[in-house]
Amino acid sequence: GYREDEGLYLESDADEQLLIYLPFTQVVKLHSIVVKGPEEEGPKTVKLFSNREHMGFSNVNDFPPSDTAVLTPDNLKGKPVVLKFVKFQNVRSLTIFIEDNQSDSEVTKVNKIALFGTTVETTDMKGLKKIEDNH
Amino acid sequence: MVLEATMICIDNSEWMRNGDYSPSRLRAQADAVSLICGAKTQSNPENTVGILTMGGKGVRVLTTPTTDLGKILACMHELDIGGEMNIAAGIQVAQLALKHRQNKNQRQRIIVFAGSPVKYDRKVMEMIGKKLKKNSVAIDIVNFGEDDDGKPEKLEALLAAVNNNDSSHLVHVPTGPNALSDVLISSPVFTADGEGGSGFAAAAAAAAAGGVSDFDFGVDPNIDPELALALRVSMEEERARQEAAAKRAADEASRQGKEEEPLSNSQDATMTDNTNNTAAETTEKTADPMDEEKSLLERAFAMSMGTSVSDTSMADADTSKATDEDKELALALQMSMQDDTKDPSNQSDMSKVLGDQSFVSSILTSLPGVDPNDPSVKDLIASLQGQPEKKKEDEPPKDDK
Repeated sequence: GYREDEGLYLESDADEQLLIYLPFTQVVKLHSIVVKGPEEEGPKTVKLFSNREHMGFSNVNDFPPSDTAVLTPDNLKGKPVVLKFVKFQNVRSLTIFIEDNQSDSEVTKVNKIALFGTTVETTDMKGLKKIEDNH
Repeated sequence: MVLEATMICIDNSEWMRNGDYSPSRLRAQADAVSLICGAKTQSNPENTVGILTMGGKGVRVLTTPTTDLGKILACMHELDIGGEMNIAAGIQVAQLALKHRQNKNQRQRIIVFAGSPVKYDRKVMEMIGKKLKKNSVAIDIVNFGEDDDGKPEKLEALLAAVNNNDSSHLVHVPTGPNALSDVLISSPVFTADGEGGSGFAAAAAAAAAGGVSDFDFGVDPNIDPELALALRVSMEEERARQEAAAKRAADEASRQGKEEEPLSNSQDATMTDNTNNTAAETTEKTADPMDEEKSLLERAFAMSMGTSVSDTSMADADTSKATDEDKELALALQMSMQDDTKDPSNQSDMSKVLGDQSFVSSILTSLPGVDPNDPSVKDLIASLQGQPEKKKEDEPPKDDK
């Protein structure tokens, strides 16, 4: 469909930085991330913060990121960046801070962000009920 | 009902000693600030407001954002004047204060009173604006006081850089009879608050400005029928009292036939006495250069007939403010009555006053350069006497609403 459409992109507004907040519906572990963008205005330095709510541009520098990635043109074409798995074991929300872009232009553009990982083991409620019935 | 934290930046530089906004620019700001705080707190009880001053030795935060109105009003009393306004630092400190607000769910807003010249250039203002926009801070700028070249453009540049979906505004308040607070009430600074705030603002407007409103008394049946009825009844009583006073004054004036009499009567009697005020205004207006005085005389008489209502009500507003603040509400009621129905009794009083030939000629003789024996002046008076009679006929059918 139009998921891979190059014409659709996210663009930064006042300056070249972007701050994206992704809350998950359940707890996950993250393995790797793909960030696709145009060669010139695509992101360069990307910082990831796990489990931090209400981040703003003013407090991005107040705590250290869970991981930092500097993207190469290969990454921008779709090559995944492998993350420090140990830091992303128990993720409820992810904040992605794009600090600058490849060509240091005023505007940063992002075409696609993909996250790869697994869910964390949770109790299977259906299984519980069946056992009770047999009593 | 939007949940918001607001920082108000007050200009307390030396320029604020000026009295072109009564009583002084600084006190006008203080009044406006009190109104703003009230409106914000009313529209949402969890809203917080903080104050800082930009002049003096440097930017100083008087209160961090708080819901406590008493604390804010106490700070307003301790304002002192001095130094120069540092608008860039003021806005940045305000941004910092908002960043550390206790309730992170509140939106951020800065209200800046820019009364003195802005010494920073456009670039700096735009940079500040961009930073504010990035941190989703809205800003309301009140441009008043000094108006050097470049100041409006700089403020416009700041507004353009910050503005996001019309959440930020720039209001120009010119000098004049209207107080700073009154102009602000009708501006987006207040009305952007939403329904709760605007209710407060509307009530304040009716009490303070006594001005133009669609309803008779600024309140009326939709909101409060009992209040509207009470206001109407008291309006009737006031009008009856005024008629009696006006009749008395007009009789005295015509008997004495002196110019000073109506003037002093207008001050002693109720200040809402329309006829005497307009007579005084007439004499003032016609003391103009001899070349234009004929046309001015005609215009003045036309005005005193109540054809151009806004001018007379302006005169009324001036006199009432100058004399007695308590009578403001009665004046407001009377003026808004004027908007709808022309008062026939006033017309008849006016015609009586003008009809008295000796009184009119005495006024005219005392004016420089007017010769009562001049045929054009005589014609004018004769036509004017015919006019009140005609107006009286028009009034009663219009009155039966």
